[in-house]
Amino acid sequence: MAHFLFKYPWALYRKGEFAFLSGWPVGLLLLVLAGTAATLALWLSRARPRFPGGTRRWRLLVLGAVQWSVLGLLIFLAWKPGLYVSTLKPGQNIIAVLVDDSQSMAIEDAGSRRIDRARALLENGLLGALAANYQTRLYRVGTGLEPVDRPAELQAQQPATRLSDALKAIAQEASRLPIGAVVLLSDGADTAGGVDRETISMLRSLRLPVHTVGFGDDRFRQDVELMEVEVPARALPHSKLPVRVGFRQHGFDGQTARLVIRAGGQILASESVRLAGTEQQFRTLVVDAGPAGPRQLEVSLEPLGAERNARNNALVRLVQVEDRKARLLYMEGEPRWEYKFIRRALEEDAGLELVSIVRTTQNKIYRQGISQPDELKEGFPQRVQELFEFDGLILGSIEASYFTAGQIELIREFVDRRGGGLLFLAGRAGLGDGGWGTSSLGELLPVVLPAKKPTFHRERAAVRLTSEGADHVITRLAPTGAANRDVWQRLPKLADYQEVGEPKPGAVVLTELLDPQGKALPLLVIQRYGHGRVAVLATGGTWRWQMQQPSDDRSHEVFWQQLARWLVTGALRRVSLNLPGLVLFDETSVEIRAQVRDSNYLPASLAEVKARVAGPDGSEKWVELRPLAEEPGVWTARCEVPHPGLYVVEIQASVNGEAIGQDVAGLLRQDGVLEHFRTEQNRHLLEQLAKETGGRYFRLNEAAQIPEEIAYSEAGIAVREFKELWDVPALLLLIVGLKAGEWYLRRRWGVV
Amino acid sequence: MCRGWRLAAGLLWIFAICAWPQGRGRFWMLEDNPAPIPPDANEKTEFVFARLRYPTFAAGYWGWRGAWATDYPKADRQFLQGVRRLTRIHVRSMEEVVDLDSDAIYDWPWIYAVEVGHWDLTDEQCKRLREYLLRGGFLMTDDFHGTYEWDVFLASMKRVFPDRPIVDIPDDDPIFHVLYDLDERFQVPGIQYFYSGRPYERDGVVPRWRAIYDDRGRIMVAICHNMDLGDAWEWADLPQYPERWASLAYRIGINYIIYAMTH
Repeated sequence: MAHFLFKYPWALYRKGEFAFLSGWPVGLLLLVLAGTAATLALWLSRARPRFPGGTRRWRLLVLGAVQWSVLGLLIFLAWKPGLYVSTLKPGQNIIAVLVDDSQSMAIEDAGSRRIDRARALLENGLLGALAANYQTRLYRVGTGLEPVDRPAELQAQQPATRLSDALKAIAQEASRLPIGAVVLLSDGADTAGGVDRETISMLRSLRLPVHTVGFGDDRFRQDVELMEVEVPARALPHSKLPVRVGFRQHGFDGQTARLVIRAGGQILASESVRLAGTEQQFRTLVVDAGPAGPRQLEVSLEPLGAERNARNNALVRLVQVEDRKARLLYMEGEPRWEYKFIRRALEEDAGLELVSIVRTTQNKIYRQGISQPDELKEGFPQRVQELFEFDGLILGSIEASYFTAGQIELIREFVDRRGGGLLFLAGRAGLGDGGWGTSSLGELLPVVLPAKKPTFHRERAAVRLTSEGADHVITRLAPTGAANRDVWQRLPKLADYQEVGEPKPGAVVLTELLDPQGKALPLLVIQRYGHGRVAVLATGGTWRWQMQQPSDDRSHEVFWQQLARWLVTGALRRVSLNLPGLVLFDETSVEIRAQVRDSNYLPASLAEVKARVAGPDGSEKWVELRPLAEEPGVWTARCEVPHPGLYVVEIQASVNGEAIGQDVAGLLRQDGVLEHFRTEQNRHLLEQLAKETGGRYFRLNEAAQIPEEIAYSEAGIAVREFKELWDVPALLLLIVGLKAGEWYLRRRWGVV
Repeated sequence: MCRGWRLAAGLLWIFAICAWPQGRGRFWMLEDNPAPIPPDANEKTEFVFARLRYPTFAAGYWGWRGAWATDYPKADRQFLQGVRRLTRIHVRSMEEVVDLDSDAIYDWPWIYAVEVGHWDLTDEQCKRLREYLLRGGFLMTDDFHGTYEWDVFLASMKRVFPDRPIVDIPDDDPIFHVLYDLDERFQVPGIQYFYSGRPYERDGVVPRWRAIYDDRGRIMVAICHNMDLGDAWEWADLPQYPERWASLAYRIGINYIIYAMTH
């Protein structure tokens, strides 16, 4: 019926380009229409007295409008309107039919497997209907694009869905074959991050429309899915690792699920989480990084009954636990208890090497933890190479004026360029009372120190966690969030505190103290500066946490070890290996990047850099890295990772044959994992793909319209036609209808 | 009430007032050698000289004048003047008397016990002293002499640490070098030298610097046996008392404090 009324299919109206065939100017049409309207209005106003009395003005206006519509329509048709459209020449074009053959298409929803429904669509009509006017080519989409002979060959066994790669391949074919259109049957669950702009541009430049048919439910009724797992890429041995887990649910609102983190089959941490809402929820669990080497963390939400897809409940992440000891320098201006107990806490940490200097008298220093008798003999380092040996620096109760201008600048460079961590402690000669606020290092501080003095008070102060501190690795003293809050509530009061002013924008307050008046003041404040990190601890009295609690309580030690590890973790290495991710999903190659710095931690200009890649099968190969001209100090190479499994990548850098450093990281290739995540139909992606390429998105029950839609395309071998609209039955019926309406109104209102 | 009872009650009242701490753990009546209270006695500082008050062997807290109070408070205050002058430690000018029975002991990570050859800790005190030391506290003992007093000292200390040996501190231990190099040490006699003519007391002829170490090789208990550093601090202002004795006593005391604050 619609086809009869409008003469052409809807697709033509969507694709066609409107034009007038008469060649008369459009401006003239508008002028004539306006003139007609004005003449009609003038005539009506003059003729009004001749109409029966009481004829209301608005009724005349309605009748005038109807008359003008009829006249206008006739004038419009006199201009010979029509649509220009490109139509594929029957028998000369190829239609590429792409079928998503990945594992997610094996999911059963709507009573059958997605792939079965796709096959049924092809076998029961679509291929036949297309074959009537075109050649058809059937392709399988998975890790790439592969032609198949029959729909029966589609088995939904491909480990990944890379739509971009498949569409690029078809675009390349379209440049040498008359491909008139692409039909894509898919659930849209792309595992490579979606269709990129480059692919869209290629398709648009070829004017190749991609028509998409969506399979699968938009949303599962009952499912819990891990959405993301964030873990630091590197860690020191046995340090605390924060694992931030994002998940969402449908159909289990209010129920409880168990979140578990395992390594090597052993449970490292677990927490019960209450599922709520359909928005993404987050939990942070803290686990022990374990010994040096690559460490696989398996994060899972234990499946609930009746879940549609239980394979999206677990993910693996890889952490490179570095086989090194971080070096920390602690400069203290006076013997004090905090110094002793910090040393004791950090000495227990096998991943840290603490070197400390304390001023015992006005002219004497006492060094501890030194490896050579002459190390730091003259006190605080004065040369770059001396200070840059360390990864972190603690400044205790010591005045800024104790340091020379050169040393102050060195400290700034240590944080900014070296990427070292710097911690300021409170004390009678620390922070504001030590003149640090007015020193040139004031800008490093995460707080604006108050100008008044004294700010250091030997008064007891209670502590409390802030919301930011509840899940932070520094302040996590117990495995779960609730237990951590309990530990902090039980901590004894600090021996002293210092006013440190307001936190700067971008700084994060992890803990607060309550002064004797009950006023909350920042206690531990952190922020980034340059490549490094800066923290302020507004007390020199955490030693009471050790002396006022049972000797087997570990709160004080754990706090200080975590704070020290946070300080040193971000420190740059002279040679550092950067991989795009420690877990590769379905990738067959990886880009290895190495950053090489000279002894001053400036980008190196000359070096030989090579990488040793050990595969899961015991194979080993060397790859030469080449410097990047646009990024000083960066060397890069692409390396094949042909098999799934754990690879170990080690880079070595040397200058004139002399080794200057090396770095190592694990790399895990996993195939077929992402196919089980985000497995609902990604309708948005399919709709966007169709829209941006001039195609159309179809639901499965609309797929019969595809052959008709496909006919209009500018790709392949097409002819451009003009389809006239003057004889469209719907327009003629409209004119008749308007006149009939006018007649009816005149009769009803008595206007004759 | 008969007159005798009234007299006894009155005396008891006076004794209680005098023996009760008069602020900051000061025991006026029990002062062995009174010294003026410094004007900044109430200053809040990092380090406080905590003197351990303990029950005396066979006489409780108050027998034999209270052995814990020997040289108190002049030795403490005179020594603290030296610590203030010679180091960067923020030191209170007045001592603090502390009991093992009180949790306040944990606020003072350094305690000094004198005449420990007469102490007699209860089992509970031994347990608390052990806990104090394991948490990181430091104990310096001084002014006890000879075999008998060593045995009395040991009787309590073995109940504190039955499993830890008491050893001589080697010369290269940091405690003898943390500020002053104390390779050449000698016996520091007490004031008794002036009336006995002997530098030693009882059969304590050879001075011993001994210690109990923790599992990480840090000294928890520093034991000065057969010497009287407290007297040397107390009588450092006496012209007749040799400077070399006082000087060594100060150096040892300061080294021990700095060691306790750094290890």
